[in-house]
Amino acid sequence: MTVLSESAIEYLLAFADDEHLMGQHYTEWIGVAPFLEEDLALASIGQDELGHAAMLYAIVAGDDDSAIDRLALLRDADDYRSSWLVEAEFPGWEHTLVRHWLYDAAEELRWELVSGSTVPGLAAAAERAGREESYHRRHADALVDALLGVPESAERLQNALTEVLPLALGLFEAVDGEAMAISEGVATAPFESRRSLWQERVAARFNGTDVGPLPAPDQDRRRRRSPDFAPLMARMREVYNLDPSAVW
Amino acid sequence: MRTYEVFLKPDGRDEFRHAGSIEAPNDEVALVMARENYARRAEGSRLWLVDRARIVVGDEDFVAPNADKPHRHNDGASVAERRRRLREDGK
Repeated sequence: MTVLSESAIEYLLAFADDEHLMGQHYTEWIGVAPFLEEDLALASIGQDELGHAAMLYAIVAGDDDSAIDRLALLRDADDYRSSWLVEAEFPGWEHTLVRHWLYDAAEELRWELVSGSTVPGLAAAAERAGREESYHRRHADALVDALLGVPESAERLQNALTEVLPLALGLFEAVDGEAMAISEGVATAPFESRRSLWQERVAARFNGTDVGPLPAPDQDRRRRRSPDFAPLMARMREVYNLDPSAVW
Repeated sequence: MRTYEVFLKPDGRDEFRHAGSIEAPNDEVALVMARENYARRAEGSRLWLVDRARIVVGDEDFVAPNADKPHRHNDGASVAERRRRLREDGK
């Protein structure tokens, strides 16, 4: 099988970690979303995102099945490459919806960058994820569209957007290995190169909201974890930690 | 909020079947919610949503004022009974 370079691995892990933590946040809405149907919808979308993360971790893990769990759950905090947007613990559902919209608008552009990747399995993963993502975007957009038409809801969404946007900009921050990964054919261009297109779409959706210039989070090329990371990871490892030697 | 009746069509030749209902503020939200609530595990490949307010209703007073209509049921029992009687009388 193909041996991936360190740069390719770092690039793929950044993508996988973002998908993984987004999936986790959605699943935490089971039973507490604003209405029953949304409860199910968010959890279902979360399962899709966890599936995308699993595909990406599997590409890094190669033939070693057990490596997927290790990559997903057992690395040191410093070795994760998640962005602060997906680590963030938000107080309300409106923040979750705004993050959902912003993240998925960016995710569409991110998969496109690897749709012709030379990494075995990655182009196919992009195609599969792309089919699911068109529904995710439609879900987020339908709710945002309906809520922007109600004054109180619109105000809450706009306030949430103000809080979430700076973090969302950090999504486009590259890992150190990105340039090398692009030269190897892992992706066609830096994620950052799609940011202006994303900003146009954000402005079009949220009544002309100007995204930049805003202070992006100090992620140090995605090497630094935010304060919300540790408690999130502790919840994710809760069952595993009951008996690390258990065989599943 | 509106209430929509949700119909789901599995792959192949099966017809649309009623799957349940869903509340939503508009058609688009209803559709994305119905997809997750009734078809997320690939239970079907097509959805019909009908706004309940648009359904043409025939209620019970109109459709079935008399639910008991034996004269409409031509199951042959009464004919068979008469013929049996005639045979026995003819002996």
